[in-house]
Amino acid sequence: MSNKYLRFWGVRGSYAAPFDSHLKVGGNTSCVEISADGHTLICDAGTGIIPLGNELVKGNARELMLLLTHYHWDHVCGLPFFVPAFLKEWTLNFFGPGNDRQDVEKHVSAQMKAPYFPVGTESWLAKINYVCPTNDTLQHGPMRITFRNVHHPGATFGYRICVNSKTVIYISDNECKFIEKSVSKQRSELNHEEQSLYDDLVREEHQSELEIIGNADILIHDAQYTTEDYNRKRGWGHSCYIDTVNMAIDAGVKELYLYHHDPNYDDEMIENIHQHALEIISERKSGLKCHVAREGLRVDL
Amino acid sequence: MGTEAPTVVLVDNSPAIKKLFQRSIKDLGIELKIFDTAADSWNYLKDNQPDLLFLSIILPDKNGLSLLKDLRKHTLHQNTSVIMVSSKDYAQDKLDAVELGVVDFITKPMPIQMITDVVIKYTANTSN
Repeated sequence: MSNKYLRFWGVRGSYAAPFDSHLKVGGNTSCVEISADGHTLICDAGTGIIPLGNELVKGNARELMLLLTHYHWDHVCGLPFFVPAFLKEWTLNFFGPGNDRQDVEKHVSAQMKAPYFPVGTESWLAKINYVCPTNDTLQHGPMRITFRNVHHPGATFGYRICVNSKTVIYISDNECKFIEKSVSKQRSELNHEEQSLYDDLVREEHQSELEIIGNADILIHDAQYTTEDYNRKRGWGHSCYIDTVNMAIDAGVKELYLYHHDPNYDDEMIENIHQHALEIISERKSGLKCHVAREGLRVDL
Repeated sequence: MGTEAPTVVLVDNSPAIKKLFQRSIKDLGIELKIFDTAADSWNYLKDNQPDLLFLSIILPDKNGLSLLKDLRKHTLHQNTSVIMVSSKDYAQDKLDAVELGVVDFITKPMPIQMITDVVIKYTANTSN
């Protein structure tokens, strides 16, 4: 078994869904572990980080890097119960959107305050480092990390992680093709010159989206909604899975993991989404491998 | 009363949006300065206050609202008139922008005339 792997600990968006009908896919919110040569990187701190923390304390590592895409509750709500934070022998390095270290600290600490929580982050005994978010590139052991702003309410990062000659891209929350849909919706209100300029803008944005996920060996990407739900929730900052699949094909991604599943979708519905995704890939004669991100799934790198 | 043309700054890396702004202000006697990145704009803005500043939110190197937060800490920009121009029309971004004292938030795609109108509105008292 490789000592370089990624593992899904939480795959849901919005809120935890610990229902019998959902557990083949999993009920915890966003959290992915990437491990290489004994170094641990964690993407997001949803409820999935709680069982991950319980597992980590059994091992030998005592330091980790935690990348937060943003601070919406489904991405940070596991932190108050993350056991390594409460153990003095641990070192936790936090990175996420913000203007400076103080901003990151403020956002990480905000949920652990009265009247929302009984103890604050001052109860954490681990050594906590807030990494300056203005750094262009991060290095954690053999893992090189860069980030880009993505399309989601508030400042939100997508991460590109290079490890063992493989590129893993983690974009948990992102509304694909947003400007294309906006232009299409308002097209009749634009004159010919404006339509031409905005057609150019749509092409630019599409190219920019492809660059963000281009050359990914593994893309873990928001695929929260069906078309029907996307139309109801446009502006919530999440993608329709059809757009996610098409973007991955256009960008030449090798393997796509549909992620950040809607908590209202049970195992059967997500299986239907997966089957349709495979049909799209087949119709487009693409070699893209598409999987459902499932809690507990481990992928060797 | 000054004799120089009002200065408008746009921070946006989209060639299409740059063309749209150039088209919008071409008959207004405005000096338009365009920067692709937050870092490039900072090199200018650290020493200069434009009459009006347009900021995109998703920039190659930084979130536009983070750039604005930095600018507001600078004595030169505590009262600079700023308009966010973004495809992100999320309520959270608009609220953040209002808290940072923007005078307007324009959502892409916007008509050419809309840019012309706001430039006239916010530079009216600064032109000769």
